[in-house]
Amino acid sequence: MAISAESAKEHMNEVAVVCCRTEAGTILEAGNLEDPAIFPDLEDSGLLTIPEDCLKIGEVLNAKLVKTIDSLTPLTPDLLEGVQTMEVESEKTEATEEKAVEEPKAAAAPNVQAIQTAGGVVKIHIGEGKDINLEIPVSFAGNMMGSSQPAAAPETAAPSVKAETAVSTVKEAKEAKEVRKLVKKHYKIDKVEFGPETKIEGTTLYIRENVNEDAVNVSNLVTDIKVDIITPEDYDKYSETIMDVQPIAAKEEDSKLGQGTTRVIDGVVVIVTGTDETGVQIGEFGSSEGILEKNIMWGRPGAPDKGEIFIKTEVVIKEKTNMERPGPLAAHKATDFITQEIREALKKADDSLVVEEEELVQYRRPGKKKVLIVKEIMGQGAMHDNLILPMEPVGIVGGKANVDLGNLPVLLSPLEVLDGGIHALTCIGPASKENSRHYWREPLVIEVMNDEELDLAGVVFVGSPQANSEKFYVSERLGMLVESMDLDAAFITTEGFGNNHIDFASHHEQVGMRNVTVVGMSFCAQQGALVVGNKYMKHMVDHNKSDQGIENEILSNNTLCKEDAVRAIAMIKAAMTGEEVKAPERAFNANVKENNVDMIEQQTNQKIELVPNEQVLPKSKKRLAIYEPEAAVVTE
Amino acid sequence: MKYGDKIIYMEGIIVELKDGSVAIDFKGRLGYLKVPMRMLINDQPLQVGQEIGLNMSFVEVVNEQVNEEYISNIEKRKEKRRQNNG
Repeated sequence: MAISAESAKEHMNEVAVVCCRTEAGTILEAGNLEDPAIFPDLEDSGLLTIPEDCLKIGEVLNAKLVKTIDSLTPLTPDLLEGVQTMEVESEKTEATEEKAVEEPKAAAAPNVQAIQTAGGVVKIHIGEGKDINLEIPVSFAGNMMGSSQPAAAPETAAPSVKAETAVSTVKEAKEAKEVRKLVKKHYKIDKVEFGPETKIEGTTLYIRENVNEDAVNVSNLVTDIKVDIITPEDYDKYSETIMDVQPIAAKEEDSKLGQGTTRVIDGVVVIVTGTDETGVQIGEFGSSEGILEKNIMWGRPGAPDKGEIFIKTEVVIKEKTNMERPGPLAAHKATDFITQEIREALKKADDSLVVEEEELVQYRRPGKKKVLIVKEIMGQGAMHDNLILPMEPVGIVGGKANVDLGNLPVLLSPLEVLDGGIHALTCIGPASKENSRHYWREPLVIEVMNDEELDLAGVVFVGSPQANSEKFYVSERLGMLVESMDLDAAFITTEGFGNNHIDFASHHEQVGMRNVTVVGMSFCAQQGALVVGNKYMKHMVDHNKSDQGIENEILSNNTLCKEDAVRAIAMIKAAMTGEEVKAPERAFNANVKENNVDMIEQQTNQKIELVPNEQVLPKSKKRLAIYEPEAAVVTE
Repeated sequence: MKYGDKIIYMEGIIVELKDGSVAIDFKGRLGYLKVPMRMLINDQPLQVGQEIGLNMSFVEVVNEQVNEEYISNIEKRKEKRRQNNG
């Protein structure tokens, strides 16, 4: 396919090959040339061999062809007249290659020497640097002058040095502003039993024996509901496909989601599973039911932690409703009826049972790089839907479905996210889907919110509708929103793969074209490779953890973890300071991540603990047979 | 896979649309496919009767041995169906 003049300009240093049969006498222009991006594939398949003397695109433009040649002929000097000589810009290309993907080039060690005070003079020496902003508060400079000096007038004490880069020595340039606070009171539960009423006594949670009889009545689509208490001894039991993992938490009276006080039960999670009357899993496209301990990647933000007790519901809905929107929602509603009863008990629980009080504070940090987190959530319908901002953490009542909101961008405070502001109905792609619990412990939101070098403006949730026309509609709204926010950078994340990668790419474009640095995060690897791309998709973090780079049916295996958040933050900081990023390799290579992690460790002197993957689980024969036949042969 | 790079262009017709799924009949009576909607790319809203195209390959058996866990899942489902019908 021919390339555009713009693309030719970007690829001046790439080899020139004609895209189509070209007649002698043609004055070559961009339209005659093939896109260099596909050369490696052509070379691999033997369709193209690039000779050593092949000319560069910059050299052949406007040259005259002396011979008629077939498509995919590399252009060599003997075929052309009037070849341009190009000033070799090798310096620039080398620079882009030498830097690895996310090297945070010593952002913390700029060429600024410590500020010295000598005889009442503030000396600031900047050897070399760019983008350095020094803003020194009056009190700071005043103190530096020493108490023996009379406090100088503000104008002189605060020299308005306008140089550049985030300088760590003057971190407190402007006070971080506390916006809101959320307190999570933790109640430890180590035993769950059925009893005559739902209540909390000490560290035991009792669930009303016949609660399921009332839960069935929540929706006329629900025909049956079974509640199981799964203790660690039962981890080897069979379970229907896990639709969602949810924390059990309740707001204290009068406090809204994302502020005030939330009571949380530690040690127990709610797990939603379900089928229709004929035994077909809800939202089934192939099954991922099976033995719990073989199908759960413990400790992922969205998964249960090993040792936790599960309150597992098995909801049966009317036949043939498992693919329609009300079906999966009914299963969640029926489960939430039970959770709500536990919430009411939790609200009544005695304060003396609180084992830990956790305080989450949201700061705005004026003067720091202003960033936004954009989370693309599924909105194609049925189980591809989410309830935004219910009254209770990960509740149902009060929540608005993003599909009903037209999938348009909705802004949440980071604390609303971490307080259960998203109830996820998402139910396919076990390894990459973000369960409700994922948002409750979203690592990117936590890391960015607590990063003192970044000013997190908020978290935008944007749905992913089905048709492209709708995708671009919502994406453009995101662009306009971003434009109004004067951001320095934005993270864009998505879950799973499929047509949501089309809006993912469009979001990059909409944000990137407004001169906002973008870092994208998604599961890609082998199976989820991006379907489209654009020039703004330069900085990418892959969520893959699986050995083979595929959706391997292990719950939450390939979701965003702390290590991904750390890499994305390092990458966004590097990108904002103008670091170039290496071009991606042609095929998925897990070493890229390893190298980047090494580099971040070197730069920050901090060890990044990488989470384990499916290899630590007892191997299910299913997985061995299907995904790792080599290993299966060895063990059998 | 032994024959994994044999790619064949196929066409089909959308025969069923649910809120979350799309079902497709392959032309020439070559089969039926049901996938989550997000695995389909479309510019405008989907409609039954629309023609689709995709590249496919042959389906290969990757392990000759039967997987007992899957068998057990299938049995469980049959049992459930029997119970619900009975």
